[in-house]
Amino acid sequence: MYDQIAKYTRKLVADRSALHGWIAFAAQDDHLLTAGEPYLAQLAGDVLGRLDALGLVAARPSLPFADFIVRRTSDQSLIIPRDTETRTFLHDIPFVRSDEFAAGGPELLARLLGNRKGVIVEGVGIVAVGAVTVEQAYINYSSVFHAVFVKYLQDLLTGGFLLPGEREALEGFRSDWLRPLTADGLVFRPGPLTEPALILSEVTTVGRYTVERGLVDSFFGNISCRGDDMIYISQTAASLDELDGCIDPVPFAATSTTGITASSELAAHRRIYETSDARVILHGHPKFSVVMSMQCEREGCEITDCWRDCPHVRILGGTPVVAGEIGAGGLAKRVPPVIGESGRALVYGHGVFTTGRQDFAEAFRLMVEVENWCRHEYFRRLAER
Amino acid sequence: MNGWTGTILKVDLTSGRLWRETLPAEFLHAYLGGRGLGVRLMRGFHTLDPFAPEMPLIFAAGPLCGTTAPTTDRLAVVSRSPLTGTICDCSSGGRFPRQMKSAGFDALFLSGASPRPVVLRINGDTAELVPADALWGKTVPETIATLADAGSVAAIGPAGENGVLFANIMVGEGNGGGRGGLGAVMGHKRLKAVVVDGARSVTTIADRQRFQLACQDVLRLFRASPIIFGELGIAEYGTPALVDLVNQRRMVPTENFRRTYFPESRNYSGPAIRREYGAQKGGCSGCPIQCLKLTPRGEYLPEYEALSHFGALNGISNLAAIVRANTVCNELGLDPVSAGATLSAWGEGRGRFPAADELPGLLADIGHRRGDGALLALGSRRVAEQLGNPGLSMSVKSLELPAYDPRGAYGMALAYCTSNRGGCHLRAYPLSHEILRKPVATDRFSFSGKGRIIKIAEDTNAAVDSLMACTFSFLGATLEEYAELLSAATGIEYSPQSLGETGERIYLTERFYNCANGFSVADDLLPERFYVEPGSGGDGIEVPAIDRARFDEELQKYYRIRGLTPAGTFADPRFLEKLP
Ligand code: SF4
Repeated sequence: MYDQIAKYTRKLVADRSALHGWIAFAAQDDHLLTAGEPYLAQLAGDVLGRLDALGLVAARPSLPFADFIVRRTSDQSLIIPRDTETRTFLHDIPFVRSDEFAAGGPELLARLLGNRKGVIVEGVGIVAVGAVTVEQAYINYSSVFHAVFVKYLQDLLTGGFLLPGEREALEGFRSDWLRPLTADGLVFRPGPLTEPALILSEVTTVGRYTVERGLVDSFFGNISCRGDDMIYISQTAASLDELDGCIDPVPFAATSTTGITASSELAAHRRIYETSDARVILHGHPKFSVVMSMQCEREGCEITDCWRDCPHVRILGGTPVVAGEIGAGGLAKRVPPVIGESGRALVYGHGVFTTGRQDFAEAFRLMVEVENWCRHEYFRRLAER
Repeated sequence: MNGWTGTILKVDLTSGRLWRETLPAEFLHAYLGGRGLGVRLMRGFHTLDPFAPEMPLIFAAGPLCGTTAPTTDRLAVVSRSPLTGTICDCSSGGRFPRQMKSAGFDALFLSGASPRPVVLRINGDTAELVPADALWGKTVPETIATLADAGSVAAIGPAGENGVLFANIMVGEGNGGGRGGLGAVMGHKRLKAVVVDGARSVTTIADRQRFQLACQDVLRLFRASPIIFGELGIAEYGTPALVDLVNQRRMVPTENFRRTYFPESRNYSGPAIRREYGAQKGGCSGCPIQCLKLTPRGEYLPEYEALSHFGALNGISNLAAIVRANTVCNELGLDPVSAGATLSAWGEGRGRFPAADELPGLLADIGHRRGDGALLALGSRRVAEQLGNPGLSMSVKSLELPAYDPRGAYGMALAYCTSNRGGCHLRAYPLSHEILRKPVATDRFSFSGKGRIIKIAEDTNAAVDSLMACTFSFLGATLEEYAELLSAATGIEYSPQSLGETGERIYLTERFYNCANGFSVADDLLPERFYVEPGSGGDGIEVPAIDRARFDEELQKYYRIRGLTPAGTFADPRFLEKLP
């Protein structure tokens, strides 16, 4: 298990969701082991030892957003994620204030994690559990980080800065944490690709690019390329930076169900291929796109579950925004009709789909453009508040 | 009481006496219902011979049965298996469980043996035993057709009457997913059927709004799961959706597990069945998934296990013959998994697997215990012993293994051995992470961490089988959402952690019963073949034999995690007395 812990420690550092040196894991089969920063490792072990689960991570996030969210409210004890992906799988994220943690310690965290996949501890960080694997703990950490990121940025747009230090922290985040997002330096294989071996290799490479350039949270997202009579699509719960062996060939004509393990968005991908001249599709959850997809300004609307029920197509910087649940929900119906023209679509509170008519260079460039536009627009609106 | 009815119907078939009793609330809270309740009620009876008249046969629903909680209208039937000698529970759907709950019962406790064939008839508030001499010998569909006007039916066919050791209790015509031969226990009681017509829905919900929100969370997760509602998933194709996948992963048991690859399986894949039969959806009441598939005439089509065991395991690729074999099993009340596997072991032993056109006749002979069927009706372990070659039986604790070769998934290998009802994949359902990538993928060719993973999954599934939710729900949802449903329905707070603890209590109770009947580490073992013969590798997939030393090491880790001795037993002989 130490190799798994080392691997996911590296990932937390590489995706910059946790502070280098402030990461610890605990894991157990018939005995408990811990690794990482000593204080957090002790905590991780003390919590996991009280749970029937395999892995746990305790780490300090690289951004102070979680603590700000806690301090911006005085009467709440949990966060309801706004983005649909996180909300579907996490429901809510409890947080523990520092005085509660001082009183309740690992026992309290274990009780909360007996009910939920991750918890925020003020002044300490995010603690997340994996019932089955160490990787699952990492995924849950990453999902909490993503949910917090999206919610805090949205809260700022609606509520502004409330606490001392918030404005400075955001400026620091903008100048230091955020990096220019480009496709520069990436090499794409010119399309159209028809040879299966080349398709598999290119999908694997581009999957890795999306993670390296921060276009997905943890590894959620999916990617596909069409061959003559097949869709080659990433598998469900596949790490986009480790797609080797995790791409399902799915026949256009439903002659085999081997692809039952394909991404939950297979139906959307298939429909896009059927109704457009796309040859490749990328789907990621770039954070500013997720935030901006939810900034609807329609007055007097009676719909409450916008992410699911909104029937309107909104245009955001030239990109259509539609609602729709993941998987067999509405997304597979609502995205294909709007993506054909521009090769891009935003899903309310969820993420971005882009297509390429020839190859992934176009799809990747479009996703970068969408996210950059949303990032720019976010800061413009924040400044205007 | 919210959720539960708090009432059990007890029937002494020997004397013909029926009476109601109140179920202690502590039992219900501590064991939930379904499998857990049934297992708890077996305490004190667990060492009886399965065919002893006093051996109870327990039908139990869960606290969410009768509500709109997805996939929870299910029934557990619990007793001691005559095939394996272990504790045994079987889960089925259909309309019967909801009707039973609507009649006011969380459970039926059937003991004794009637001097003549009877049917237990429950209609609203009345329950009675009625003579059923005319039904004895009838097939399951004939029995159901005769009783249909009186309500929903759980019945045995000729196989159960004749004591076939893998006879099923069919809950409705197509819901016979049981293992372990509890149909024979029912047959020994000369109870042909239970028919129930519930008067009204009696399950009350403590917090309706919270309950509805939890239902929505579950359904959202179902829709997000490619395995459930994906276009290649089980809602579309039923469990036959697994045929192509398991073959592609080179772990389809072929010719009595001599090989693990059967390209001809494409003849009976999900798409092939849809093409040939125009398969339509069917399933358990209140389930949005509807994974069962029927012909337009209403004939139930085989599920994955039956397809694969009448197919690859016997080297047969003729879809019509497989469908016919499955229908014969449904008519006779036979477990098609054990039937297919027993025929296969026998086939290897005599040097020739049965031909497609021999299947219906052989199955009929088994159901009626005549000709070769007299021996085959005893299941593969006894057949192999009588043939002088015990290694032919691909079973664990005498329960024939289902259609996933353990050489292709090491968590599965371990789970077959630690399952309390013998070689079964459903107790820990490692298929979910080793093959279907839910909730995350694990390395199927590694034992690392599997001891704890299997332990956690066994506890989870014991809770799931006691809530009486369907295993397939958990390819999308988790205990988080079901704990919320249960809390909202009953008004008592449950969490995934507390449900896991309940599952552990149920699991350990079962294991204790088994140990009391002499089971130990020596029985937690795969057939020798898997440790010495490789599977059929190819397409870049190696399928080596399982490393026995590594298997044993992980099994010992599992015992330590469970708090068992190295012999897989309980250090404390009074363990059970400390449980509620
Ligand atoms: S998924 Fe299938 S077996 Fe499970 S409850 Fe639904 S119809 Fe029944």
